[in-house]
Order: sequence, then structure tokens, then C-alpha cells
Amino acid sequence: MGRDLALLIPEIAVLLAAVSALIAEILRRPRASLALAMLGLFVATGLTIRLVGTDTTVFGGSFRIDALSIWAKLILLPATMLSLLLASAEVRGTVREGTVYSLLCLATVGALILAGAGDMMFLVLGLLLTSLATFALVAYPDDDPATEAAMKYFVFGSVAGAVMIFGLTYWFGAAGSTMIADLEGTEAIPLAVIFGLVAVIVGLGYKASLVPFHFWVPDAYEGGPLSVAAFLSVVPKVGALFALTQVFRDLPSESGGPAVIAGLAVLSMTYGYLAALVQDNVVRLLAYSSIAQSGYFLLGIVALGESSFALPSIIFFAAAYAAMNLGAFAVIAAVGRTLNDFNGLGRAQPLVGVAMVLFLLSLVGIPPLAGFVGKFLLFAAAIHAQFTWLAVVAILNSVLALAVYMRIIVPMYRQEEVPHDAASIWIDIVTLTALLATVTIGLAAQFFFVKSMA
Amino acid sequence: MLPIVSLTLFLPLAGAALILALPGPTARTVHSIGIGTASLTLVGALAMWLEGVSGAGFSQVEELEWIPAIGAAYRVGVDGISLPLVLLSAMLFLGAFIYASSLRERPRAYVALVLLLETAAIGTFAALDGILFYVFFEVSLVSMYFMIAGWGHEDRQRAALMFFIYTLLGSLPLLLAILGLYLGSPDPSFDMRAWIANPPLEGAAAMWALVAMLVTFAVKIPAVPLHTWLPAAHVQAPTVGSVILAGIMLKFGTYGLVRFALQMTPEAFHEAGVVVLVFGVIGALYGAFAALAQTDLKRLVAYTSINHMGYVIIGVAVAALALDPSVRATALDGAVLQMFSHGLVTGALFFLVGMIQERAHTREMGEFGGLLKTVPLLGWSFMLAAFASLGLPGLAHFPGEFQIFLGTLGSVPAAVVSILGLAIIAGTFLKAIRETFLGEPQSRWHSMPDLSLREVLALAPLLVLTVATGVAPSWVLDTIHRTTSALVL
Repeated sequence: MGRDLALLIPEIAVLLAAVSALIAEILRRPRASLALAMLGLFVATGLTIRLVGTDTTVFGGSFRIDALSIWAKLILLPATMLSLLLASAEVRGTVREGTVYSLLCLATVGALILAGAGDMMFLVLGLLLTSLATFALVAYPDDDPATEAAMKYFVFGSVAGAVMIFGLTYWFGAAGSTMIADLEGTEAIPLAVIFGLVAVIVGLGYKASLVPFHFWVPDAYEGGPLSVAAFLSVVPKVGALFALTQVFRDLPSESGGPAVIAGLAVLSMTYGYLAALVQDNVVRLLAYSSIAQSGYFLLGIVALGESSFALPSIIFFAAAYAAMNLGAFAVIAAVGRTLNDFNGLGRAQPLVGVAMVLFLLSLVGIPPLAGFVGKFLLFAAAIHAQFTWLAVVAILNSVLALAVYMRIIVPMYRQEEVPHDAASIWIDIVTLTALLATVTIGLAAQFFFVKSMA
Repeated sequence: MLPIVSLTLFLPLAGAALILALPGPTARTVHSIGIGTASLTLVGALAMWLEGVSGAGFSQVEELEWIPAIGAAYRVGVDGISLPLVLLSAMLFLGAFIYASSLRERPRAYVALVLLLETAAIGTFAALDGILFYVFFEVSLVSMYFMIAGWGHEDRQRAALMFFIYTLLGSLPLLLAILGLYLGSPDPSFDMRAWIANPPLEGAAAMWALVAMLVTFAVKIPAVPLHTWLPAAHVQAPTVGSVILAGIMLKFGTYGLVRFALQMTPEAFHEAGVVVLVFGVIGALYGAFAALAQTDLKRLVAYTSINHMGYVIIGVAVAALALDPSVRATALDGAVLQMFSHGLVTGALFFLVGMIQERAHTREMGEFGGLLKTVPLLGWSFMLAAFASLGLPGLAHFPGEFQIFLGTLGSVPAAVVSILGLAIIAGTFLKAIRETFLGEPQSRWHSMPDLSLREVLALAPLLVLTVATGVAPSWVLDTIHRTTSALVL
């Protein structure tokens, strides 16, 4: 037990951060609340570094301390810190501002639990924790659009969660175990387990915003605070995709699972970009683009067990995606939510303009930015696992992606400029951090391989 | 020992970083940094040239680990095929910076972009790692997009977007081919030297990889029928953009055709050689006829590029088809020399067209007449470049085209029909010269100034080399031949 808890120290630190942030809020000390949350996340990140390279499980195999869950912490904890900074610039001075910081930390705990799940009960726990915390976050502004968005999100999330739990009962009934790892030994998978797996795909697919479980995404992103949208697009999503990875790496390869995932990947990428092509609201555009980006993650998941690239490519792309997507949201926070706000940005604020161009080109997958390296590894994994057709579809979608993101870039250098207020210093810090990560992370790609293959 | 290749490669990038780091520099400072960096880069390229290449394989190789787990690394080096192109890039970019030094519209961003483009260009030719090649290949695209979109002519946004999406769609198949070559190699690595020494794919897989590569390079070259972006991009691009696009970026396609298609999937290329050859012949003839039909000088020069690149494709295809190594070396020598001289000649032509447009604000041949009397220096320079472009003996294009036809006669005599293109191009340029420079001078152009010192400095090196390459091609050809004669396919 002592060993188990020692290995879980980072998660516990985040949980403590959430609780202490809440206590500070109760004492009406919102700045202290932010500071405590940041400190907790920072300490948790530091405590994770010494775990790098471990590959073990705790609580009798039900929670995994492996490459996925360790990298989830190293990626998601800094991502949450950046989201906190964005949130602090946005909700500063509102009533109950500290609850936002506390809930962000709680949702992160949920995402970490998802990423390390070795047992279906942890899947449920993680899913519910992230969902409940983020329902409240979306509703935080307490105006009509936010309430409506939160309501849609809540209904959709509850149904998807219920479907997952319902399906898991079949899985448990047929397999006699809640451990995901027990799937590995089974020769022929009983129908009930397949039903359970489908339910898991529904539940995690909703959280990862895969088509066709994506309907809540544009509304929730647009209605809620921008910083929450930035958070939702990265932390819970990556947590859910890592959870899906945890489930599928134990699945016997002849199960037909990869084919289903490949189908979802095609739907998500294509539908996401096609829908993004007609948006005039940049937040909705990025919402649809984040749906498409989820589809790219699935290229790594189909290759699990077949290709040695699969795990590193998923992890690397998660890091790249977190950096570039948070960066793009930070620029939106500084500039505005509609395409018109971006008119002439490149001339008015050249550096912010260059940063946005780099984030968007990285999302397309233009070298030598982080997004390119990630997608390149994902394509390699898919082709290695004999899913060449899927890589071709993904590559064609990259062209569609260029058309999508150029809709933001073109007006930045064409139109007359729109006057902007100076953005908060914190937003600039987030932009700069994300930019540094987007530009340099590709050079450090080797790091992801050594540590994750160990 | 200095890493000359890497220094030459990253000097422009360092210059761009310096320009962006300076707080509020004047246009003069920015242009001086641009010219200074480009001069140093040319010194680096000349040092590489003096260092020379050995026979087989690559020389001056520099390596640095990047992702050893998948065999990707920073690897650069040159051989007789890439070294002339590196030298060409360094010269043409220096000319471009000198020419652009009068620009006052956002010079900082402009010079930084062109410097980035220079690193991308030299990097594409010097890269010896599959991923690295692709990185430079794509970076060039992005910088060219912003150049056309930011400093082009009236309809630039549409043309720039078309260029970007067209060529991105075009270059993605190469990514697949690179992944295929990587996954097919016995000892997984992105080392292009290993792929060349030991082509990893065979049979249907090699054919698919070849098809993917051909699509990519055909868009870039551009080969008919994938050429439609070229006239649009050229017409809208600023002069320096056109010079670099035609002078250097088109060579990415033909260089890739040799480096990737011919060297990494030689057997598949041998089988499909006739098809490639046919596309080359069609491109050469189509480009010539289309050029004849133009009245806009810039479009005319753009279409002659399609014709000249058609000859390069013919040369490479003949090299793939030829069984006799000496015929193969002759054809390949011609193809590489043709790339080099096309850069010099077409670079000069686009400069000249840009100079005419700057003075007259039109490029329609019909509106001129008798310019030779008003602006003799510009006129004679144009004539020299035009005669070089139509393949006059003693000027740059002649030795390359001669060798291509020699190789063609030695293996696939039927393809010599493309020699017709020479006659048509000659007609095209003679018509252009007659309408623009000969005849009675029109009064509205009487006050047109002749070349300034800045323009002479940008042009003169290209014209001198055009003559030098035509009269004594051996100074380039020796380097090229050292590699092509040792090539094992």
C-alpha cells in the first residue's frame, strides 16, 4: 500500500491542489487559490519526472504507472497550468473565481485517472470526474449561451456515460473481471464483451470528441469561457484518447477493433475539417478542427500491437497537439472570437501574427513544426500496421486542413486592421510558452522514444 | 575542420533571426544584412565548390543524431548533381537581394522571408535524410506563399492560395513514398545514402512509391498536365519571387526526380521510363506552343520554363531507359547542366521582365516597341538572355540540350521529335524581341531610364555565367560528370 501511494504522489498532489484552491476560495482569497493550484500542479510535474521510465501497476493492476500515464502527467499538468493562466486572465474579478481553478485541477485528476486506467472502474471514475467538473466550468459565466451550452453538454455527457456503464456491466458479466488486461488472454471474445467494448468507445469517444459523438463540442466550446474551451480541447480529450489506448493495447488484434477505430478516424478527420470549413466563429472553427485532430490520434491506436511506432507517436502527438492548440486558443483570447477580429492582425501585431501562423501551420502538419513530427510518426505507425489506406485518407485531410486554417491566416495579412486592446501579460506568457514548445519539441523527439520504449 | 555545408545552409537563417531580433531597423540596415548574409552564403557555396566532390557517393557529409530510435538524423552533403544547384541558389539569391534593395514596403519581413527561403533551397539540395529533405521542401512552400501573398500583384491572394494548396497536395505523396522507403529498408533508417546504395523497395511497392514521387515532382517541375499553378503564381508573384520560383524551386522537382525517383527506385523507373519520357516530350512541346501564344512577357517566360523542364524530364527518363552507362551519363549530364543553366538564364529573364514592368507598369508586348533605342543596356541584356534561352550555341542552354538530345538519339531516337520545341521557342523569343525592342520607339516610353547600377549588379553575374557556361561548360560539367559517370543504377 505504501509503495502504491508513493507511486501515485503526483495524482495526490493535484488532488490536494484542487482541495486547497477550493479552501482558499472559501476564505475569499482568489489570488491565493490560483497560486496554490499552480504550485500544486508544478510540484506534481516535478514529482513525475523521477518516475520516468517506470513501468508497473498499482492496486493490484487496476491502475497503471507506465509510459502512457507518466507522459500524460508530463503533458497534461503543464497544459493545465497554461489553462489556469488563461482562465485567470478571463475570470479575474468575477464572483467565485477560485472555483474555476479548483475545478480545472479536479478535471485534470479525472483525465490522469483515465490515462492510467487498467480497470474498467477507473474508466468510469475518470470519465465522471472530468465530466462533472467541466459541466460546471462551461456553465460558469452564468449567462444564456453558457447555460444552454452546459445543458447540452450535460445531457449528452450523462447519456454517453450511462451507455458506457450499461455496456460495461455486460463486459463484466461475460468476462468475469473488471481488469482490462484480462482481455489479452481470451481466445474468442464473447458477444457481451464486444457490446461492452462498443459502449467504451461511445463513452470515451464522447470525451475525446470523435464523430459521431461530437455534437456537444462546438456548443460547449462556444458557450463556455474561452479558457475552459482551451482546456476541454486538450486535457480531457488527451486523457480519453490515452484511455482508449490503454483498452486497445490489450485487445487481441483479430478482434476487428482496429477496423472500427479506423472508420471512426476517417469520419472524425473528414467531418471535422469539412464542418470547420464553413465556420465564421474562430472558436467553433477550432472546435471542429479539434474533432478532426482527435481522428489523427486514432491512426496511432489502430497500429497498437502491430507497430513499435504506435505508442511513441500517440504520446508525441499529444504533446505537440497540447502546445499548438493551447497556443491557438491563447491568441484567440488576446484577439477575439470571430474571423473579422483577425483582420490585419499580422500587420498590427506582427509577433502575435507570426505565433498564430506557426500554431495553425503546425496544426496542418507543416514541417519542421511539432505537429508535423507527430503526424509523420502517426502516418508511419498506420502504414507499418498495413493501414496504408488510412494514412492516405489522413494525408488528403491534411490538404483540407490547410484550407481550413488558411481561412484564419489569409485575413490576417489582407484586411485593414481592427484595433485591439492590449492583452493581459499572462496570455502573452501562455502564447510564448506554447510557441517555444511548438517550435522546439520536434527537435527533442528522441526523448519521447527512449523513455516510452523503456 | 569547419562544417562548411551546415554553415552555408544556416547562415541565411541566422541572418533572418538577426533581422527579426533588431528593434526597429531601417530599410537600409535590413537590406545590408540581407546582402551581407547572402554574400557570405555565396562564399560558403564557393568554398564547397572548391572542396569539390569525389567520384561515387556523397562528399562533405556532416551528421548529427536526431531520433536514433527511428534512424532519423540531420545529414547533409553534396555530390556532383546537387553541388551545382547549391552554387546556383547562392548566386541567384544574392542577385535577388541586390535587386530587391530598393524595396520600401515592409522590408524587414520581406528580407527575412527570402533568407528563410534561401536556407530552405540550399537545404533541399544538400539534405541526405528523407525527413530533412521533406522539411526543407515544405518550408520553401510556406515562405513562397507569404511572398506571393504579401508582395505580389493585383490578384495575389487567390494565386498564392492556389499555389499553396496545389503544391501541398502535390508534396504529400512524397511523404508516403518516404515512409514506404523507410519501412521497406532492412535496417530502418531515413538515410538517403542507404536508400540509394541499396534501393529498399521492389516490385509493386517500388512502382507505387515511384508513382507517388512522380506526382510530387511533376507538380513541382511542373510537368504538363500538372502545371496550371505555374502561370498564375508567376504572373502574381513579385519579381524576386518569380526569379526564385523559376530559377530554383522548379529544380526541386527535377532534382527530386533524379535523387529520389531515379536513384531510389531505379528498376521501377526503368519500367516506367517510357511513360515519363512521353510526359517530358509533351511538356517540352506544350510549353513551347503555349509560350508562342502569350502576349504577356512574364507568362511567356513562365511557359518557356515548362518547355525547358520538359527537356530535363526527357534527359532523366533517357538515363533511366538507357542500358549503356555512357549514354546514361551523357543524358544525365545534360539534364543537370540544363537545370543549372535554366536557373541562370530564366533568373535573368525574370529580372529583366520585372525591370520592364517596374518602368512601364505593363508587361503586354504589344504596348512596347523600339525599346532598344530608349534603353539599350536593358534591351541587349534581354536579347542575350533570350538567345541563351532559345538554345543558341555558345550560350548556357546549348551544351545541356545538346547532350540531352545526344543521349536521346543513343537510346530512344523517336523522342528527338521534341527538338521541334527548340524551333518554336526560337520563334517565340524572336517575336518577343521584335515586338518589344525593335521597330520605331514609341513616344510614351521616351523617358524610360536605362538600367541602374543596382540592376546591373543583380544581372551581370548571371549574364557573365550564361556566356561562360555556354563557351566553356566544362567548369560545371566536370563536377557533374564525376558523379554521373560513377552512378550505378
